[in-house]
Amino acid sequence: MKILERLFQFFSIYIVALGLLWAVKIVYGFSDYLIPSPLEVLQIARENGLLYVKAVLNTSAVAVAGHMIAIVLATAVGLVGRLNSWPGSLTRIAAYNLQAYPIVAVAPIIFLFFGDGLSSRLLIAAIICYFPLLLSFIGIFAEPVEEVEHFYRMTGRINWRLELAIRTFENLDKIITVIVGSGTLAMVGTIVAEFLAASQGIGYVIRKALYQSNLAKILVALFLIGLCSSLYLSLIETIGKWIKARLTGE
Amino acid sequence: MHISCRHLSYSYPGTGPPVFNSLDWSLEGPGFFGLFGLSGTGKTTLARLISGELSPNQGSIDKSRDIAILYTHSAERLPGWETVGTHLRSVTKASRASLLEALLRDYEMEDYLECRFSGLSMGQKNRINLARYLVQDFDLLIADEVLANVDEPTRNQILERTKLLFPQKTFLYISHNVLEVARFSQAVYVLPHGHSTGIENICKISCLDQQAGSEAHEELIRERVYTILKAASGSSGP
Repeated sequence: MKILERLFQFFSIYIVALGLLWAVKIVYGFSDYLIPSPLEVLQIARENGLLYVKAVLNTSAVAVAGHMIAIVLATAVGLVGRLNSWPGSLTRIAAYNLQAYPIVAVAPIIFLFFGDGLSSRLLIAAIICYFPLLLSFIGIFAEPVEEVEHFYRMTGRINWRLELAIRTFENLDKIITVIVGSGTLAMVGTIVAEFLAASQGIGYVIRKALYQSNLAKILVALFLIGLCSSLYLSLIETIGKWIKARLTGE
Repeated sequence: MHISCRHLSYSYPGTGPPVFNSLDWSLEGPGFFGLFGLSGTGKTTLARLISGELSPNQGSIDKSRDIAILYTHSAERLPGWETVGTHLRSVTKASRASLLEALLRDYEMEDYLECRFSGLSMGQKNRINLARYLVQDFDLLIADEVLANVDEPTRNQILERTKLLFPQKTFLYISHNVLEVARFSQAVYVLPHGHSTGIENICKISCLDQQAGSEAHEELIRERVYTILKAASGSSGP
């Protein structure tokens, strides 16, 4: 069970991190103002839990939507990037150069143009996870699987749809891994956008908690972010495994 | 079926000496021919040049009009998303369905049609791959180590049956098994070893052309094997 495995990993890391934080507090005698006690964290969770759950669901929805947009866009551009003709070369060169730029730095410009609403968050989430997807897709779609394609080429049956099917199938594990990895990036992009200027989502909640220097609120928000990310990533992995099992007949 | 290479030169980009240097060679079908040579002498390169997968740096390859050339090798795989049977049916014309059935029966692969290719042994994979090529349109089939993982009795049976079923086709059978090429080929083309400036000539050795049910004399086989190995090692040809 991938979901349980991921949740267990997340809970373990979160508990260890909290333990370390409180150990530091005890060793150095930090006040409750700087590092809240476990009881205070629980109290904050009880008081603000529902509000924070709504905020993290809002963030996750934007991240998932941005992720889906990025996958569709990367697939479409990847199909052009696999070509040996000039549009393909141009796409590859543009993709390699653009991905080298820290794209999060353009986020303020996006907020300038689109305001602090949904569209800015969606766009930033999509842009941040788009380039890793695109580079992987171009690499996968452009790389022949010689051992399988040879027969179709020899007998004159090869076409771009068949090539794509073969290359996608042969690299299914790689594609799923890239999609899972970019899912985390989509979450990162959305939260970064909310930190910067948005007026909704868990990033906005954390920003407010930061202004109040309230670590308890931040710890509760981090817990919910981790929980949602783990659930989303394990869902993608499960879907990927299911697709693979269906295709390979395993 | 006729193919001739005239002043053929080829070297892989970025590598050292050429594989072929102004090579003249021809093949006249139909029949079962062997292509033999030690590792790295250029058997696969010649096969890929003839099949059109590679283009010569210089020279030309002349072919009879409208001949269909297929080249297959032992590393090929079937797509993993369908069963062996589904794939074979999808790449076989309806008119050749009975031929496919006969081949699968001969190759003892009838019971594996519901399996995925990845679930087969190496020898079974070789047999399925060869079967799917044999049901295609071809005049010349270049088979590069296609039975490399099949046991010897089965391999001999497959070669005998192939010759029997396709008397009007031409086969260029590439193998490192000198005994096999000596027994089953009507002629073996030998690529000599040790040509640092590229191979210029391929020597032709008439062989035993063993048919189904017949048995070649052991002394004759030994003699041909010796001749082939001598030519392949780069000693003076026959």
